[in-house]
Amino acid sequence: MTTTHDAPATAQKPAKLPRAEDPRNPNMRLAAFFDEGTVELISADDDSGMLAAVGTVDGVHTVAFCSDATIMGGAMGHEGCKVVVAAYDRAMADRAPIVGLWHSGGARLAEGVLSLHAVGLIFQAMTRASGKVPQISVVLGPAAGGAAYGPALTDVVILGPEGRIFVTGPDVVRSVTGEDVDMLRLGGPEPHGRRSGVVHVLAESEAHALGEGRRLVALLGDQRVLGVDSVDDVDLSEHLPESKKRAYDVHLLVGHVLDEGSMVELHNKWAPNIVTALGRFGGRTVGVIANNPLRLGGCLDSPSAEKAARFVRTCDAYGIPLIVLVDVPGYLPGVGQEWDGVVRRGAKLLHAFGEAQVPRVTLVTRKAYGGAYIAMNSRSLGATRVFAWPGAEIAVMGAIAAVRILHRRKIAAVAEDLRPTVELELAAEHEKITGGVDKAMQIGVVDEVVQPSLTRSALAVALAQVDTGSRGQHGNIPL
Amino acid sequence: MGHHVNAELVANVLKVVAQPGDRVEPEDTLVILESMKMEIPVQAEVAGTVAEVGVSEGDVVTEGDLIADIDAD
Repeated sequence: MTTTHDAPATAQKPAKLPRAEDPRNPNMRLAAFFDEGTVELISADDDSGMLAAVGTVDGVHTVAFCSDATIMGGAMGHEGCKVVVAAYDRAMADRAPIVGLWHSGGARLAEGVLSLHAVGLIFQAMTRASGKVPQISVVLGPAAGGAAYGPALTDVVILGPEGRIFVTGPDVVRSVTGEDVDMLRLGGPEPHGRRSGVVHVLAESEAHALGEGRRLVALLGDQRVLGVDSVDDVDLSEHLPESKKRAYDVHLLVGHVLDEGSMVELHNKWAPNIVTALGRFGGRTVGVIANNPLRLGGCLDSPSAEKAARFVRTCDAYGIPLIVLVDVPGYLPGVGQEWDGVVRRGAKLLHAFGEAQVPRVTLVTRKAYGGAYIAMNSRSLGATRVFAWPGAEIAVMGAIAAVRILHRRKIAAVAEDLRPTVELELAAEHEKITGGVDKAMQIGVVDEVVQPSLTRSALAVALAQVDTGSRGQHGNIPL
Repeated sequence: MGHHVNAELVANVLKVVAQPGDRVEPEDTLVILESMKMEIPVQAEVAGTVAEVGVSEGDVVTEGDLIADIDAD
């Protein structure tokens, strides 16, 4: 990590507004974030470069701090860092969510190692709070160097359209490597939303970014109680195609499992073959994880396993029950995946589910094959309850693929034009012996076959029975 | 601006749906791939006009291969 210049990291230099009118004034940003009229400053409004306050968000007592980008572009000195650490102490004492509104070029160069030390103390405070109080970052301008790693240590990062996150800025990149790159390409919405996984939520405007921050504070900070009676049944199979071979976008299904309009998706564009979303279910905050067949056929791969693992641990740390919607053909095969560490990164998901203390129910909608079956909150990893829709397949692999391996010699011995017929016969026999939901129920890896039209209420009953406030006792390392 | 749509995984090209010159909207299907024993539609992410389709039915594509090029509006 490097320090950056004290000057603002913004490229454009508009005529300087008086601080009271500057939209980067932290007083204005904090006022826009909290419920109207609830902001109470807990730090001096001076030239430290940071301002902190308490207030409410949808009625939830919340602590927030905000870079003061009107002073040295929000660069962080030791006084400003003290403000952030004090805000963390307050959040921990109050057991309140804490939100950082970031717009900072990084550590103050003029302060030298003193500022680096102070930034490190923020990281320490964030890590101590990890898994204890929800932490949300809203990046509204450049967040460079230390200001980049601050948000990265928190549970959820929201990026506004002007947000830019990077360790070293374009000038340093150019002088060191000769690479000519601008801030947008280096650390804007596209790279962080789609490629790096740094950002969970991309916002269209500063107001939208603050609004998404508010929604997440409400979901994490005011989880409420699951009202079984308020969960209406609808036919969820409507959101899947008739053909079992056909891929589909699982977002519709996730949206209809959750209470209407309550879904906040995290990492929408990164690793899109798995969907992770917070929302309400029967009024209670829940997390949903779903394979998305539209992308990569819904296969698990390195990034998607990592994304899901972090989400499971986030939910577990804050006591948020999980609903896992399974339609997975397996792990994505290939050299690229193996070299990308699908074994190491995939193991994170096994570990995350294996340790999770929150109630977590699984629903197999169409199929669950192979190692990916285990990883998607199977019975063996400790699922609270496992449901399957009629006709769901739970197997090591598809029946045809299995008989091609098991009966390789037998199939090779018949004439080529007869092979498909023979394969089908063998597959039907194989399915009778090994596959199908009936067999899965006999073994005890599926508890109940449930009709799509009765699924919501079944999930609600299963979750409500075990929702006693258990949660994992661990931090939420950014996996 | 040309918007490239690339294959995300190794697959057979089952069906080419969009042709050069076609108008497309986000989520319109350009090509249907077959992989992992599934039919996986490749969709447009932007609205625009299809400038080029890089595959034919029966082709095998690998990760990163060009599926189509869209002149975005």
